[in-house]
Amino acid sequence: MTSVLKAAPDTSGAAAPGRLRRLLPLFGSLQSYIGLVLIFAVGVATKGDIFLDQTNLTNAIGNFASRGILAVGVTLVIITAGIDLSVGSLMGFASMAAAMMLFHHDMPVWQIVPLCMLIGAAFGVVNGVGTTWLRIQSFVMTLAMLSIARGLDRQLSDNASVGTTVAGSDGKLTPNSEAFQSLGTPGHNVLVGILGPDGIYFPVLAFFVVCVVFHLVLSRSRFGRHIYAVGGNPTAARLSGINVTFVVIAVFTLSGMLAGFAGPIDAAYSASADPMAGNGYELDAIAAAVIGGASLAGGKGTIAGTFVGSLILTLLDNVLGLNAVSDNWQLVIKGSIVVFAVVLQRPDLLGGLRRRLTHRTRTDRSTEEK
Amino acid sequence: MTTVGRVSPPLLAMRGIGKSFPGVRALNGVDLTVHAGEVVALLGENGAGKSTLMNILAGVHGDYEGTIECQGEPVAIHSPRDAARHGIAMIHQELNLVPELSVAENVFLGREPTTARGTVRRKEMEARTAELLAGLGLDVPPRRAVKHCRIAEQQLIEVAKALSLDVRLLVMDEPTSALADAEVRRLHAVIRGLTARGVGIVYISHRLEELEEIADSVTVLRDGTCTGRRAMARTSRAELVRLMVGRPLDELYPRRPEQAPSTPPRLTVRGLTVTPPDGSPAVHGVDLTVAPGEIVGIAGLMGAGRSEVLQAVFGQYGTAARGEFTLDGRRYVPRSPGHAIRSGLALVAEDRKAQSLVLGNTVRFNSSLAALRRFATPWRTVRRRRETTAVREQMTALAVRTPGLENSVGLLSGGNQQKVVLAKCLLTRPGVLLVDEPTRGIDIGAKAQIHALMDRLAAQGTAILAVSSELPELIGMCDRILVLCEGRLTGEFHRDPARGPVADQEAILTAAMARHAVAAAPAAGPAGAPRAHGAGTGAAPRPPSGTASDAASDTASDATSGTASDAAPDTDSHELHPKEPRS
Amino acid sequence: MTRKALTAVAALCVAVLASGCASKTDTASSTGGDKGDSGQFVIGYSQSNNAEPYRQQLNKQLQYYVKQHKNLKLLPITDAKQDNATQVSQVQSFIQQKVDLLIVSPNEPAPLTPPVEQACKAGIPVIILDRTVNTDCYTAFIGGDNYQIGKKAGEAAVKALPDGGNVAELRGVLSAQPQIDRDKGFRDAIAGHGIKIVESREAKWTRPNAIQVMNQWLARGTKIDLVYAHNDDMAIGAYGAAAGAGKADSMKFIGIDGLAIPDGGIRAVQQGHLLTTFVYPTGAKEAAEAAYALSQHQKVTKKQTLGTVEITQANAAQVYDEFDMSSKTG
Repeated sequence: MTSVLKAAPDTSGAAAPGRLRRLLPLFGSLQSYIGLVLIFAVGVATKGDIFLDQTNLTNAIGNFASRGILAVGVTLVIITAGIDLSVGSLMGFASMAAAMMLFHHDMPVWQIVPLCMLIGAAFGVVNGVGTTWLRIQSFVMTLAMLSIARGLDRQLSDNASVGTTVAGSDGKLTPNSEAFQSLGTPGHNVLVGILGPDGIYFPVLAFFVVCVVFHLVLSRSRFGRHIYAVGGNPTAARLSGINVTFVVIAVFTLSGMLAGFAGPIDAAYSASADPMAGNGYELDAIAAAVIGGASLAGGKGTIAGTFVGSLILTLLDNVLGLNAVSDNWQLVIKGSIVVFAVVLQRPDLLGGLRRRLTHRTRTDRSTEEK
Repeated sequence: MTTVGRVSPPLLAMRGIGKSFPGVRALNGVDLTVHAGEVVALLGENGAGKSTLMNILAGVHGDYEGTIECQGEPVAIHSPRDAARHGIAMIHQELNLVPELSVAENVFLGREPTTARGTVRRKEMEARTAELLAGLGLDVPPRRAVKHCRIAEQQLIEVAKALSLDVRLLVMDEPTSALADAEVRRLHAVIRGLTARGVGIVYISHRLEELEEIADSVTVLRDGTCTGRRAMARTSRAELVRLMVGRPLDELYPRRPEQAPSTPPRLTVRGLTVTPPDGSPAVHGVDLTVAPGEIVGIAGLMGAGRSEVLQAVFGQYGTAARGEFTLDGRRYVPRSPGHAIRSGLALVAEDRKAQSLVLGNTVRFNSSLAALRRFATPWRTVRRRRETTAVREQMTALAVRTPGLENSVGLLSGGNQQKVVLAKCLLTRPGVLLVDEPTRGIDIGAKAQIHALMDRLAAQGTAILAVSSELPELIGMCDRILVLCEGRLTGEFHRDPARGPVADQEAILTAAMARHAVAAAPAAGPAGAPRAHGAGTGAAPRPPSGTASDAASDTASDATSGTASDAAPDTDSHELHPKEPRS
Repeated sequence: MTRKALTAVAALCVAVLASGCASKTDTASSTGGDKGDSGQFVIGYSQSNNAEPYRQQLNKQLQYYVKQHKNLKLLPITDAKQDNATQVSQVQSFIQQKVDLLIVSPNEPAPLTPPVEQACKAGIPVIILDRTVNTDCYTAFIGGDNYQIGKKAGEAAVKALPDGGNVAELRGVLSAQPQIDRDKGFRDAIAGHGIKIVESREAKWTRPNAIQVMNQWLARGTKIDLVYAHNDDMAIGAYGAAAGAGKADSMKFIGIDGLAIPDGGIRAVQQGHLLTTFVYPTGAKEAAEAAYALSQHQKVTKKQTLGTVEITQANAAQVYDEFDMSSKTG
């Protein structure tokens, strides 16, 4: 919610700048672009065509899509001043559930995906109820859920991975398995012929759609306002007539539901559900949200920011990979750039640093004078 | 510790001090001079800039304009450590003691004498603490945990802490606000002892009678500027009040004289009883009515259950609040704040930052938060344009000074924040407006504007129920004043003499402290008096963090300290007169 | 006062819990220790991490092969979940229970060395499975030879690319010893055959990582003739990425592990996705046999290095049936 660019609407400008002003918040503020722009610049400078190649970008975003979808849910929770550590495990559970529905019951995709979302939402409700009615801190509640969901996942799968490419008696893939591939198996695009001759890669499409939907929910709906109010000041929210408990439970439920949605996509991407799938994804999701400007203290954050944060994480990885940077240095560079990007995105932070430095020197000088 | 005569350069000279916060000019060209052995009183309404000035001196605000000289030498104070190096110490109104640690540990916090091995020399620390405390006439074992010491003792422990630092200038921010008479006298004796040793004192207080006793000179601030500097002996209370307030008092309470005709009440409450689960004061069987166009005030001491009445009506305690309520003649059962808002109630809560505003968010966001239903589409989204228009109308009507609707509300001044809270309530188009301390901690101009707004709303037919610690405010603005003591109604006073007993400070305070005297006093004589006395002390233990920090709430705190003294209640009420020139 | 009372209650709880645990241990050891009556030879097996398909397979096989010997009894397998401290305490717990034989798949050599020595001192024979420990005080070591397997994979690559060519290598976690050995063996085998390793990156044993890395290589336009992955999961992931880009037909994929599970490498070879994979032996069968030998007071070989089986389309079905545990265990 950095509002530097969101000029006050009461200074009525010309039509064109007015539209621009209205458009810009849609993508977050200019600051949050800087990290992304830099990464793009480095990508284009070092690997030009290869980097900008549509397939490369699709692959890069597709790889992060399931984590990006988790990040959207986590952003909602973070804005209410909570945290959801369970999304990685929930996604793992959902991916296992999806693979088993397909493998053991040969269920069609249109049944698998909603069921997985329902499963995820159910876990989310438990998270929400735990943090509200039982007054367990969300960190503790979802940490416990991380463990519970992973345990159930491993119990369900008996620790074995389950493939999603199910061959029928004729040795070919069953129709349902074939359809499941379109959820994210590399090279299987959807809407072929409708969205261009090659169609679009479903994880990328899903990530975009989830972002747009939840951006609208957060920025346009009453529920979105309530989320910000609950995170910014729960007492004020309650006294403004907002049902805080409902909002918190709803937010955890949505986060769980999105994890449930990411599950089948992740299973399709790997063509199998691994009992450890999604392990550590919660940290990537939280990182994307925080890089995108969400504050763990609550009340701040946008889906546009999280979207940009996701892109920063995945494109950075892509650029380093394309340039064949050694694996050990990749870790160092990734960490440094994340810090750098976050600092650049926050002029207040830069300003504060500058002020503190000038103070220090001034104080030092005055001490020397003595 | 050098004893400096008046001819030598002053202990402290602050010249042309200025300080801006985002959106607010807090201080502008303020001068303050303190000589060794002198007590300088710093006087001003809340928001006048006293705290900012003292925070600059204590190194809390590193970036200020102007110069500071200590004993004639220019110094730069950018951190509390700088201040300490120049022998400046400050005792805040909210005491900075660690409750869990012992007295000695608090006095030497961060400077514990240690042995060569790095362990604390507890014996020595305690011996030196005992010495310091004895010098202040305080008999507290150095090992006692601070949380077990009384407020007055804690105050003196802070003084001991400052003295252990070899302090040359001591700033005391409302040191007596929580003290009883005897304790105030002891503190003053300590101050005289300090000045005899050449220590300079800056003394912030609103109790003029106290200043007359202890201060040598007085500096008055108003709206961030210095409005006068006087020798205490050669000024009067009336002059000081004029310097502080800067305008005639009737401008502050623009309540139109004519009163609404007797109409059926909009809100009636019968037998309201609630015991808040969070340990706030309970309310026992309160009856009240508010008619359209009427402003009804609720007075009482701290902890009398004033806010709790509003919160119960607003549904904050849900169905735990028992009693019979009607709204415009229809039965109303408080369920939740949401339900109350839908029923046409609105609450301006006591603490705007903690209870009313999402500080990190924008003016628009905050203003429309409770009224989003009004701008909702069938898709449950918000019509931004309508919202913006409605909010801007309110901002204009309330004369809110903000750079724009998309600016963070946290950066506005207190008065403008309070107006945003009011706008938020008004956007829900309430029939009943509940206001709790509507003008606490805001500058005098905004105060007058908010009073004018309340008057206007009443004229338009809104029923207003107001809680305030400022008796002049209640007397100036309300048609009727109900007095609460220990959760029970103990009095009702009127603006119009024809309708009942007239509201004046003395009568209200008597009612606020004597819970049986007004309600059901069979004998207001000797039998009733001790009870009332006990009630007063019990009901008003002022927390050390003193929420009622604003100038005028001293009426209540004065009453507290008054009852806490050993004098009989009758004599008390004479001492209670807060700021006589005001009433 | 209240604090003291609380402490007392807490202490009481701990005591009760501890005694509860102790009694459990007692029953366990009594059921296990009464070999004199039923002649049962009790085996405790400490697994480093159940949540790996390979180790899951190992567990199943061990359970199956132990069941073939009537006098052997396998206690519930403990899972250290990749945590050294957990595994140490689990091994010590087996020692406490006085099992007749301890089988350990160490998570890491150094931390597991002391408990193995403890067992040794307590007179409990120890079989080390798969990974090593830094002591000689064990009865038998049974494990595969990652260097040999890497070498065989290299030889298969030489055979597949007789005229030389470009190889891309997907590596396991760089610090893991199997990764280091599988890499070294492969490089030694291809040396001097005109084969170049043009790309080499860590993909941490997982499919999603392998897909991502492979996609980046394809985007870079690197010409790749053969992908050598340190396990089947990465090989299958790389195949998926290449297939998605329509380039799978011009490349060959070699994996390692050859697990007989529906989602494993043997099936992938059968389907023609992988050129070949090499069975990384679990050693379960050999461990069960050694356990039986020990129960009969026979000598066992101190160090058993297991060979590998190269899986090709010719033998895939047969090997799968041999190792498939799904029908053999419940």
